[in-house]
Amino acid sequence: MSEMKDMLIEVIDKIFKDCADKETVDLLEEGKWAENLWELLAENEMLNFALLEEHGGVGGDLDCIFNVYRLVGRYAVPIPFVEHTLANFTLETSGLSPITERATILIDEEQMLELQEDRLSGLLHNVPWARHMQQLVTAAKQQDDYYIVQIPLENAAITKQINLAAEPRDSITFNNAAVIQKIVVPYELIQSLKKINTAANIAKMSGALEKANELTVQYSKERQQFGRPIHRFQLIQQHIAILAGETAITNTSVDNMISALAEGREEYEVALARLRIDESSRIVATSAHQVHAAIGVTHEHNLHHYTRRLWSWREEGYTSYYWKKVLAQTLLQSEMDLWEFITKSNNVIQPIGGETNG
Amino acid sequence: MKLPTVQFTEQQEKFRLEVRSFLKKQIELGTFNTKCDSWLSGSDPSFSKIIAKQGWIGMTWPEEYGGGGRSSIDRYILTEEFLAVGAPVAAHWFADRQTGPLLLRFGTEEQRKFFLPKIVKGECFFAIGLSEPNSGSDLASVSTRATKVEGGWLVNGAKTWTSNAHDAHYMVTLVRTEPLDPEKKHKGLSQLIIDLHADGVEIKPIRYLTGENHFNDVFFENVFVPDNMVVGTLGNGWVQGLAELAYERSGPERILSTFPLLNELVEELKKQGDLIGLGEASKLIAEMWGLRNLSIGVAKMLEEGGEVAIPAALVKSIGTKFEQKVPEVARLLVQTMPCLEAHKNFDRYMAEAILHSPGFTIRGGTSEVLYGIVAKGVVAG
Ligand SMILES: Cc1cc2nc3c(=O)[nH]c(=O)nc-3n(C[C@H](O)[C@H](O)[C@H](O)COP(=O)(O)OP(=O)(O)OC[C@H]3O[C@@H](n4cnc5c(N)ncnc54)[C@H](O)[C@@H]3O)c2cc1C
Repeated sequence: MSEMKDMLIEVIDKIFKDCADKETVDLLEEGKWAENLWELLAENEMLNFALLEEHGGVGGDLDCIFNVYRLVGRYAVPIPFVEHTLANFTLETSGLSPITERATILIDEEQMLELQEDRLSGLLHNVPWARHMQQLVTAAKQQDDYYIVQIPLENAAITKQINLAAEPRDSITFNNAAVIQKIVVPYELIQSLKKINTAANIAKMSGALEKANELTVQYSKERQQFGRPIHRFQLIQQHIAILAGETAITNTSVDNMISALAEGREEYEVALARLRIDESSRIVATSAHQVHAAIGVTHEHNLHHYTRRLWSWREEGYTSYYWKKVLAQTLLQSEMDLWEFITKSNNVIQPIGGETNG
Repeated sequence: MKLPTVQFTEQQEKFRLEVRSFLKKQIELGTFNTKCDSWLSGSDPSFSKIIAKQGWIGMTWPEEYGGGGRSSIDRYILTEEFLAVGAPVAAHWFADRQTGPLLLRFGTEEQRKFFLPKIVKGECFFAIGLSEPNSGSDLASVSTRATKVEGGWLVNGAKTWTSNAHDAHYMVTLVRTEPLDPEKKHKGLSQLIIDLHADGVEIKPIRYLTGENHFNDVFFENVFVPDNMVVGTLGNGWVQGLAELAYERSGPERILSTFPLLNELVEELKKQGDLIGLGEASKLIAEMWGLRNLSIGVAKMLEEGGEVAIPAALVKSIGTKFEQKVPEVARLLVQTMPCLEAHKNFDRYMAEAILHSPGFTIRGGTSEVLYGIVAKGVVAG
C-alpha cells in the first residue's frame, strides 16, 4: 500500500481509537446518535475517503477501502461510516455525483422498487441506519432496466428496527417519492456491487473477530483462578489456540479476497471468504465467551460489542446462504473438476488496475 | 501474526499444468490408482523412480548435488498436484521433504555429496526415527543411546511407529549421546543417520488397523554408526530437529490427505444435479481455501527465512481436523457403502479416508500438543 493510504488508515485508526470508546459505543445501545464521532470524521474529511481523488478520496482504491472497513469492526464503530462511504462510492462508480448529506445504502436484488416517472413507492426492509440518514442510495428497476438512484428519506415512513448489536435496520415506505438522481446501469454493475457490499461486510467482520480474539488472550493473562492465570490451564490454551487459528485463517483469507478485488481478478474469493468467515465467527464467538465466562456476558464488559456484531453481520446483505447457492450453481455447470476450479481462482495475473467488477 | 498472500506467476502456473498432465497420463497408463493419504500410506518405489526421472525429487536443492535449484513455491505446487490425485509418493517423501533440507542446513559436505544425488535419483529413501515406546509427545525423553567407540558409535534401543522403515534405506535417528539429565532432557541428543541394512538392525512391521504394513518397530542391538554419520553438531539434535518441524507441519499434505474424496464428492453431486448438496460441499471448499491461504503464506515466509513455528502448528492442527471432517460431511450427502476394495471410487476413497483419519491428528505432533505450542506462543507474544 502506498504511503498516502497508510497515512489515511492511521488517521482513521486514531480517530476510532480515541473516540469510539466504550461510552460512545454504548450510546448506540440507548438508541442515540454519536454526533461527536460523525463530526470528527467530517472535520477530518474522512467521510469522502472512498471517492476519487478529485472528490477528496483515495481514488476508489479497494485495497484501502476494505482495510479501513476492518477498523470499523475492530472498534465496533457506532455510526454508519461504511454505509455512508459505500453509498457515495456507489454513486460515483455508477456515474452519479457524490453527496455530503448523510447517506445510506441498500443493494438487494430481492428488494428493488419499480421506478415510475422518476418516483418510487413501496416498502424496503433492513435499511441500515435509515432513521438517522437523509438520503438512500439503492438499486431500482424500470421494466428490464436497472438503475442506481438517490432518494431522500425525509418523507419516507420509517418503522424502527435494530439488529442484535442494536444497529438500526429500519423498514421504510416510500409513497410516490421523487428520486434526486438516477442512472441506468448494466446488470454487471449490480452484480459487482453485491460483491463490494459483501466484501465490506466481511472486512468489518474480520476486524471484530480479531478484536474478540485479542480481548480473550488479554483476559486469559489477567484472570487468576486456583492461584494462577487461567492461560496456564490446558483447556484454556486449547481455546486460545483455536482462536489464533481462526483469526490467522480469516485474516489471510480476507487479505486474499481484498487483493483479488483490488487487482480486478476476483472470481470466487468473495463467496469463499463469506462462507469461511461464517465458520470462524461461530467458533470465535463461542470460544471467546467461554474463556471470559460470566464477566463476558455482562453489558459492562465490551466483548459483546464484537460478538453481537459478528452474530448480526453474518446474517446481513448477501450471506452464506446466498453465496453457497452461487457456488453450487457454478460447480454444477462447470466443466472443471474441483481441483481445477480451486487452483484456477488464484492463478491469473492481470495487470493491476483492471476492472474491479470481477 | 501477519502472513503474505501469494500470487502464482505465469511460469509457475505452466509448471502446475505440466505436472497435472503428466500425472493424468500416468493414471491413464495405469501406473497408479488415486488414493487418499497417498503421501504417507502410498509407498511405491518404482513410482518414486518415475518422479525422479522428471527431476521432481529434491527440486529445490542446489544443482551441484543433483537438485533442480527451483523455488519452494514450485515444490509446493508439485506437492499439491501429487496430493490432489492421490499419487503414491510416500517412499521418497521424508527424504525429499526433510532429510535433504536437514543435510543442506546441518550436514557435512561429504554427507551431502553422498546422499543428495542418490535421493534425487529415487534410489535412497529415508525414515524418521523419533518416537519410542515410552516417548511419544514427550519426545525429549527418548532413551535410545549411542555410546562412543573407536571411529563411531554403538547404538542400542528401539524406535517405533516408523513409517515406511521397511522400504527405506536409512533413518535419521534421534538418540542420546550423553546420559539423560532429568532436569535438561533436551540436552545431549544427537541425530545419527543409521543404515537400516546394517548388522544389529531389526525391522518388524506393525500392522495398521487396515492390516496394511505401514509403520514399524525398529530395534537396534550394538549397531555401529561411523562418526561421519552424525548430522550437524553432537548434542544439538533437539534444536536441529525443531528446524525441520516447520516444513513438516505446514505443507499441503496437512490439508489434502482426503482431497480425492472431496473431489469425487463434488463429481457425484454434479452427476446427481444436487444443488443443496453442492451448497454443503461449498462450505468444505471454503474451509479448504482458507487453510490453503494460510499454508501458502507460511511457505512463502519459510522461503524468506521468517519465523513460522506458530502458523505452521496452526496449519497442522486445523488442517488435519479439516481432513477428518471431509468424510464425515461427504457421507451425509451421498449414499455410500465404504469398502477398500470397492469398484466405485467414492466408496473406496471414503473407506481410505475413514480408516486413515485417526492418524491425521496424531502423526507429526498431536493436536493437543500443537495447541499447547500455539497458545504459549500467543500468550508470550
Ligand atoms: C500414522 C502414523 C505414522 C507415524 N509415523 C511416525 C514416524 O514415521 N516416525 C516417528 O518417529 N513417529 C511416527 N509416528 C508417531 C507419532 O509421532 C506419535 O504417535 C505422536 O508423537 C504421539 O505420541 P504417542 O502416540 O506416544 O501419544 P502420547 O504422547 O502418549 O499421547 C497420548 C495422548 O495424550 C495427549 N498428550 C500427551 N502429552 C500432552 C500434553 N503435554 N498436553 C496435552 N495432551 C497431551 C496426546 O495429545 C494424546 O491425545 C506416527 C504415528 C502415526 C499415527
